[in-house]
Amino acid sequence: MKVKLRHITPLLIVLVLCISIAFTAVLEKTEEVSAALITKKTMFNAGSIIMLKFKLNIPSETQLFVHSSYGSTVINPDTHQGSQFTIPSFIANKKGIVTYTLFYQSKILTQGEIQITSNETTQIYLESYIGPPSIIAGGKDYTMHVVVPTDAYDNPLPDSTAIVMKHQFLETEKERIIYSKDMIGWTNIFSYNPSGRLLLFSKVNKKVSKEFSVDVFPALPENFQIRSKRKHMYADGNQITQFITSEIKDEYDNVISDGTLVDFVIKDTKGVMLHTQGSTINGQAIAKMLHPDKKETWEVKAYVQGMAESNTLSITYTQVLEDFNVQFNNNNREIIIGPLQSFMEQLIPDGAMVRMDIFKEQKKIDTKIKTTSEGIVRFLLQEGFYPSGSYDIQIKALGVQKEYKKTILQ
Amino acid sequence: MDKSTNKYLISALLVGVIFHGTSIFFTLESTYDALIHLFFGNHYANNWFEPWNYSWYTGFTVMGYPPLVHQSIGLLSYIGGLKFGLFTVAIIGIILFITGIYRFALVLTSNRNVAGYTAIFAVFSSTFIETLHVFGQLPSIIGLSILLHALPEIYLWIKVGKYKYLVNALSLLAVTVTSHHVTPIFGMVFFIFPLIGMIIMDASREQVNSYKEVRFLLFFKTFLSLFKRIVSFGLGSLLLIIICILPYWINTKNNPITQVPIPHGSRDNFFEVTSSGLVFFLIPWGILLFILPYVWYRFYSKRYLFFGLSFTLLTILGTGGTTPIPRMMLGENAFNILTLDRFTLWASIMALPIFGEFGYRFIEGDLKKSIQDRYGGVYRRILGGLFMGTFVFIVFFTMSLGYFRPFQPQKIKMLPILNFLQQDQHDHWRYLPLGFGDQMAWLSAQTNAMTVDGNYHSARRLPELTTRAVERLENSKFRGVEGIGSLQQFLTVPEKYNLKYVFSNDKFYDPILYFCGWQRLRQLENGIMVWEKLNVPPLSSILPKEDVPMFQKLMWGLIPVGTVLFAFIINIQLIWIHGLKSKQKSFPVYFKFGIPYEGFHKGILKISHLWGGVMIIVFGIGFYKLYIKNAKQISPVNVTESYYDALDFKEFERAYSYLDPSSDKTKDQFMLEIAVTDGLLSSYAKLDEIKVNITDKTDSTAKVKALTSWITPLEKIDKTFYHELVKKNKKWFVKPSLYDLDIPPDQLFVENTAEYHNHGRRRISSEQTYHEDVLKQPVLEVLSAKIVTYEGRHVIIGELQNIDNVPADVVITGTLYENDILLARYNAKHQMKHKLMPKETTSFRVNFEGIAWVDQKERKPETFNPDEFTPMDFEDKPNTFDLQCAGNVATVDLYKGVAINELSVQKDHVEGVLFNSGLQEVTIPLLLISYYDENKELIWVDHQYLPEGIRPQRKQYFDYRFLNLSEIEKGENNLKNVFVNGLSNTVISDKVVPERKYDHQFASMIPVDGKGFSYIKLEINTYIGAPK
Repeated sequence: MKVKLRHITPLLIVLVLCISIAFTAVLEKTEEVSAALITKKTMFNAGSIIMLKFKLNIPSETQLFVHSSYGSTVINPDTHQGSQFTIPSFIANKKGIVTYTLFYQSKILTQGEIQITSNETTQIYLESYIGPPSIIAGGKDYTMHVVVPTDAYDNPLPDSTAIVMKHQFLETEKERIIYSKDMIGWTNIFSYNPSGRLLLFSKVNKKVSKEFSVDVFPALPENFQIRSKRKHMYADGNQITQFITSEIKDEYDNVISDGTLVDFVIKDTKGVMLHTQGSTINGQAIAKMLHPDKKETWEVKAYVQGMAESNTLSITYTQVLEDFNVQFNNNNREIIIGPLQSFMEQLIPDGAMVRMDIFKEQKKIDTKIKTTSEGIVRFLLQEGFYPSGSYDIQIKALGVQKEYKKTILQ
Repeated sequence: MDKSTNKYLISALLVGVIFHGTSIFFTLESTYDALIHLFFGNHYANNWFEPWNYSWYTGFTVMGYPPLVHQSIGLLSYIGGLKFGLFTVAIIGIILFITGIYRFALVLTSNRNVAGYTAIFAVFSSTFIETLHVFGQLPSIIGLSILLHALPEIYLWIKVGKYKYLVNALSLLAVTVTSHHVTPIFGMVFFIFPLIGMIIMDASREQVNSYKEVRFLLFFKTFLSLFKRIVSFGLGSLLLIIICILPYWINTKNNPITQVPIPHGSRDNFFEVTSSGLVFFLIPWGILLFILPYVWYRFYSKRYLFFGLSFTLLTILGTGGTTPIPRMMLGENAFNILTLDRFTLWASIMALPIFGEFGYRFIEGDLKKSIQDRYGGVYRRILGGLFMGTFVFIVFFTMSLGYFRPFQPQKIKMLPILNFLQQDQHDHWRYLPLGFGDQMAWLSAQTNAMTVDGNYHSARRLPELTTRAVERLENSKFRGVEGIGSLQQFLTVPEKYNLKYVFSNDKFYDPILYFCGWQRLRQLENGIMVWEKLNVPPLSSILPKEDVPMFQKLMWGLIPVGTVLFAFIINIQLIWIHGLKSKQKSFPVYFKFGIPYEGFHKGILKISHLWGGVMIIVFGIGFYKLYIKNAKQISPVNVTESYYDALDFKEFERAYSYLDPSSDKTKDQFMLEIAVTDGLLSSYAKLDEIKVNITDKTDSTAKVKALTSWITPLEKIDKTFYHELVKKNKKWFVKPSLYDLDIPPDQLFVENTAEYHNHGRRRISSEQTYHEDVLKQPVLEVLSAKIVTYEGRHVIIGELQNIDNVPADVVITGTLYENDILLARYNAKHQMKHKLMPKETTSFRVNFEGIAWVDQKERKPETFNPDEFTPMDFEDKPNTFDLQCAGNVATVDLYKGVAINELSVQKDHVEGVLFNSGLQEVTIPLLLISYYDENKELIWVDHQYLPEGIRPQRKQYFDYRFLNLSEIEKGENNLKNVFVNGLSNTVISDKVVPERKYDHQFASMIPVDGKGFSYIKLEINTYIGAPK
């Protein structure tokens, strides 16, 4: 059969139709937006400008959802209908993985992730901590030095960054290199035997930290000696006796901390415990006691409670007088005691205590205490309080006791 | 009738505004209430629609008080500051009061001259002066004044029936409601009901020829005819009272006042408490007391009959606790909540028109004529002079009341405190002012910082406060056991309230602060001492509040000012034009009912004379009694009391003047002896009671025994003193007593002490404190701890040591559990040494203090005892406990210079001598006594304050009576749940002191053959009032 033009023409027309239909169909398909990341780089340094460029088959209004450990945000392209996005600095400055999702009208076009690493080209910062700020001498107690080397954007430098840690203590200066792990580098510094001050610092590359200091306090006190110091040996109830410790030290021969309280327990002749105390300065504590006002022997022992004790010191006070005068006047209602004389026959200093116990029918009804003035004490038994009758009177002064039985008051 | 401007009213307004307006600048700020209103005003200025206020009481709602006055102060403060607002509102109040009383008098007497006199008298009435210049009750004044303005309108509505008057009346009533809640409610009863009665009476009168012909039947008929108007007005006002302050009612229902009654002078028996009688009876009544018969006579005339009843009722209610009637009438509950002075206020205000009428009649009316005719012109003038004199005297007396007997501490300069609170984040904690008086409200108004205290006690929520009859913590010393007890709870457990700073304006509170573990920070330029407590966490940034629905906030914020605007718009011409110059063609209807002042009733004149005579005699007797009581040297008892009174008030010159002039004690010597005595008794005690018994007396000599009891911040001290007295020149004198003759051995002595300084922040920075500037918490070790039960109280006792190398401030918190259920938590108060030197030990006791008298039925102790203790009520017996101890570096209050120099153990007591070997003067020594059993196990810790201080190188005697501990339930020593700075005590103990020598603890134990114990140990804590 001969192909004729009039046959071909309709076929051609049909073909053209078919192709055009097919073409339009294909064209409609290519209308759908698609995108692909052009930016090849997926590792960035923190702080650098991070631009993600996508290839869009059709320019359209897309948005990029960015998510990092610092938060999430949706950003618009840099230009209208553009395909280039700049990651905001609050994300771009931080080390970590950033995931991104490109949207077109809530349809996900493409997604992926980039990694931001700490920027070692910037200046390095050191975040360092030390604690506790005071430790005890002797090598058991320690302080911990922690360093987090970071870049300028506060991102920890990668693990195995070399950190030089140095400390000085008295004549010792020590240096140690450690490598950071899990972002931090740390070391324990144990105390030395002497007390003093430990100074520390750390260094990464050329960046150095500020100075830190840790006090090394002395350890627990060891036993010590005490001695006494007094103006005279008499029990005049006026002068002061000092009890002085030897220089108290710990087991490493450090003088213990100033202010350490030393208890002095004094056992008197009756077996009663008296008590005074002093806090140390340069290891020495001084405690004071007033002289007793009667013959007395004190057994003194000092303690740092639970930790150290002293020898027992025995100290004796001699009586200042043997006897004193008592004068009854005004129907025995006025009683004058004295003059009280001290060890050289001088008048006893003002303030010596004289005690008068008054008994009626073997029952103590009153105690009067007065202090001497120019060696004399005067008691008045007023009629209002002491009706006429017979009383027993007992007078005690400076360890001497006198009794007057059946004193008649009128 | 004269229609021109009322010259009396104009003069009254002029004089009133000038007199009160200028003097409020000197009085208002030191009144009781004004600064509270100022504080509220400040609240509205900053938070108009937010009713929650954080400043006081850990938060409270301002919906507990009608807001109008406060909001006005707030609004005006935008123009010229808070004080401008306060004074402007006060001046408005003065104007409203004078015009209000004028209108009230006009209604009552129908005579413009009388009303004018009333206005002038009102300006100088002692009741108004007192309410404004002494009490500062602005809302009360404004509420009452507006109510007085409403009365003529109410009259006209009921009488005439025009709706215009109803609207006027209700609009004014609405303003009253929003300015003071009590005024309209009681105002209804005491002012409006009698007014309605009078209206009915007037209406009945119109139907007959005279009041005499008004009989009950007619009265009842008229009442029925006016019934609709009365009811419509009644319903309208009821509605207003409810709606205008609806949030107030809702708040009252939701947060009923749980506050126990707080004593108020107006409830006293005025004969017993004469000062209350003066302030709440004599002053408000003032000159009116002399014309009472006339007032009664007028009020019991038929027209005023209902006012007469109301007046009688008010007078009786105003007498408070003097007679049992008010209590019976009001019932126990209302009697204890209401302050009864308001009844006297209302009664005296109600009587003012009658007083005006009396004045008018006396000065230019029939009374003048009557007296002139009977007794002659001279007599009338003398009488008038006497009246004027008394009147002027009472005005002077009332105005100067605050000057001669200040109700408030001296004015405090707030700026240093405000600066302190702003610096260094100090406002992140709560603060507590002590001894500020009502000025604390002014401080609160100026700062953002919050306090646990407050000055509006109805709004309190903390049970620690509501269960106690304490106005404020700030002045707790005036409220005895409840005051100091409440204060101690806040000071002992300050962590609970984030309370870190105390501003002390009163030395009295210093010892209690010290012994509760507080320390002095520094003295501000204005003399206020700042105390701080370590280890208190700052406030959270979000604080709880009770929210209310939006509609309530809107109502609260809009209605009050709305009522003012509304009333202003529709009443303006009435208040001003009507009041000053009537443009109305005719006078209001009530002008018809005035009585002609012709012929003064002779009987009343006689009775009045009689009454005046009686009053003069009564006053004369009163003054004589006062003189005898105050005559200092008229008898041995008087002079002894005066002597102690002078010592109590530190008037040493006066005290010296009571000493025997022929004794060899010179004034210098006496002053010197006083100057060197210090201690709890001489520096911190207030004489509570003194009873002087004469043991022996001749014509010229006497011996007395003075039983004194003193209140100190720490405990009550009873002490007996004996004195000899002599009579010379008809005057009694006290013979001077002896003083300490002791002579210390060293003229000059030297002592080395370890002293500390903590820089705090080494860098001046507003940021958080640098890490390296934070000191390590001192390590403590608890040596023993156990629960002990004694006399039904469960306590935790134990011993603790500072094992660190730095001094420590120690806070011990104990918690009791019963099978893991928390029963109670409390801190150790004064039974421990809070400040420990390195290696120092202390015994401690944690009491579990309950909140006193939560149970209303429990009877409150009548007498004052600051040491009063309310044990916590436990349903179950605690079987386990934990102990949290926290150390912080201490740098102050580390004085350890007191030694036990002598001891003598007797059967039931121990006596001894303390010796102060150091450089500081010890103001209050505290003995801590630890009891041990035969196994040397700690079983109890007790304490005793010594009343006298110890100067350097001096001795002080003490005597301590042993307890009977045979009934004590000992507990097992258990250190399992003991933590120090959050770490386990056992771990610390093993690490820091592994080889502890336990026998050291036994070294200072004193063997005693006691009841239930075998050993005691004495420790000393010292409070130094003025560290060198």
